[in-house]
Amino acid sequence: MVSLADVNPFEMIAFTGSRVLEDNTIVFVGTGLPIIAAMHAQMTHAPNINLIFEAGSLASILEQGMPLSVGDTRAFRKAVFAKGLCAVFELTQRGYADYAFIGGAQIDMYGNVCSTYEGGNYLKPRVRFPGSGGAGAMAANCEKTIAIMALEKRRFVKKVDFITSIGFGDGSPDYRLKAGVMGSGPYRVITNQALFGFDEKTRRMMLLEYLPGKSPEAIQELVDFELLISPDVKEMAIPTEHDLFLLQKKCDTEGFFLKRKVVEQ
Amino acid sequence: METGVNSKIVEVTQVAKEVIDKQKERKKNFEYWGPTPREARKAAVAKKKGLIDKRMTIKQAVDTYIKDGINLGLGGFVNTRVPTAIVWNIVKKGVKNLTLSLQSNSICCEWLAGMMIVNPDHVSIKRVELAWWGYEVIGIAPLLRYLAGNEMIEIDDYTNYGMSVRFKAGAMGIPFIPVRDHGGSDMELVNRGAMIQCPFSGDNTYLVPACNPDVGVVHVPMCDMYGNARIFGALCTCPEIAQAASHTIMSTETVIDNMAIRRYPNLTEIPYPVVDAVCEQQFGSWPGAVYGMYWFDMEHFLYFRSMCDEFRKTGNKDKLKAYYDEYFFGCDTWDDFIAKIVPHKKLIDLRKRDGQQPIIIS
Repeated sequence: MVSLADVNPFEMIAFTGSRVLEDNTIVFVGTGLPIIAAMHAQMTHAPNINLIFEAGSLASILEQGMPLSVGDTRAFRKAVFAKGLCAVFELTQRGYADYAFIGGAQIDMYGNVCSTYEGGNYLKPRVRFPGSGGAGAMAANCEKTIAIMALEKRRFVKKVDFITSIGFGDGSPDYRLKAGVMGSGPYRVITNQALFGFDEKTRRMMLLEYLPGKSPEAIQELVDFELLISPDVKEMAIPTEHDLFLLQKKCDTEGFFLKRKVVEQ
Repeated sequence: METGVNSKIVEVTQVAKEVIDKQKERKKNFEYWGPTPREARKAAVAKKKGLIDKRMTIKQAVDTYIKDGINLGLGGFVNTRVPTAIVWNIVKKGVKNLTLSLQSNSICCEWLAGMMIVNPDHVSIKRVELAWWGYEVIGIAPLLRYLAGNEMIEIDDYTNYGMSVRFKAGAMGIPFIPVRDHGGSDMELVNRGAMIQCPFSGDNTYLVPACNPDVGVVHVPMCDMYGNARIFGALCTCPEIAQAASHTIMSTETVIDNMAIRRYPNLTEIPYPVVDAVCEQQFGSWPGAVYGMYWFDMEHFLYFRSMCDEFRKTGNKDKLKAYYDEYFFGCDTWDDFIAKIVPHKKLIDLRKRDGQQPIIIS
């Protein structure tokens, strides 16, 4: 039996990420934990998941190990289709990518994500981040968006500084329609301590699962906006010994993502 | 461009009103940050279209095409097939008031930015149209953070698809292209695209302007002496950039026979007329990766990034200056640079780490 103390926060995120993916889907992955989550899903409950890497590959076989970047040459190993960014983003825009797996620095209750800057203003940011990269396009046009974030009050904010990746905007029913984007929008938010979904009616973030030993109240403490709590809220599943073996020995064998510090300073 | 059409982002945004007003002016007084589509066409028409031997050194190509004030389109993607050997030569030559256009890049941008910090009279970047400037697994880009935070460069933000398809529009010879992203995000308010109502579907549809760089720089695994290029692994946005640019400098790991190109014409990803210079340069993407040839050199990315991060934190340029003095100005050619900075055994290891991905050379 694995106890919670044996599972580090990144393993928890990757395992939870894997659980939310359905089989026979195409997952558009970002660097790091999303790749690990998708690899784990392929090795367990969803063998027919296929990946898009934004540099231009579809359904590669990651037999050389986990790609360290979405442009890594390993991400093209034995792919069925290898082109460039336009090709895979157009497949996505057309409707052939089921999940987007994105990260960011801030998220709000409607699943809008900031990864452009924090503090200051757009023209003179306190911390300028790399920018949208693929995230903005993935959140717009993959069918469902999954965000991976560290659960901290400074990240789960009332308003993000800059909407880089569109969520439900202000929550109004026609926000995404008026935006001209095609995907149905935010689906899950995965953190080390909680799994969130979105309420169908209000499009607000809703707590679905929390880490065993925590409580919905404890999760709310780490979030700056008011969370909805699912009537079926429950404890998160914990990876088994075999899951941990797969994550550590078959996915991120060098510990690039699973062994780094929780919070980057 | 003002269309009177917006998504509901205007009601949600946290971006300050004065910033939005300023960006609105930029939209209203839109100008291409490089050749207009018509100017780019003129450049294409003016070229000799015969099968001409275009081989030259990177230095010759850079001396011919790189001029102050140009829009430089960077090929590759983050750390993959990045045109480092060409950029290294551009840094050595020096160029001012650059506009950079790219989807995602790491060390090419940071090398130029580092030189700008060490000596702005030698290299300066005026503005950047981009989706992403960083190192992925290694971390955010310290010099982008420094330049942006100190208002030293103007930025125009798009998604990776947005920038890729801007080059594609440039390559198609059209002035703009509709996309299904950017709308409803703050990029709609701050970048130079425009929301319209589609005349056919009635949908709100975002338009992004074509991007035609003055000079596109791309690195490929192989091409013939005329510039017909094959690419294996990620094409990134190299074919689009090469075809969009008024002039394209192409470095290549190896020059192959034209008859090899003709044997499998379907494998040609970049056709010769769009290429102006063919520069054979082994390890021309180091420390980046070239599929089928070598993997990326994580150690050097970490080394250079940590030096840049130290500068950002302390303001001390000494180490950066010493790096450029030794590894740029202290070397005559890229081959000298590679010999000085990477142990031979390391290069052999990088070839192994790519795992000999299968490619078709002849």
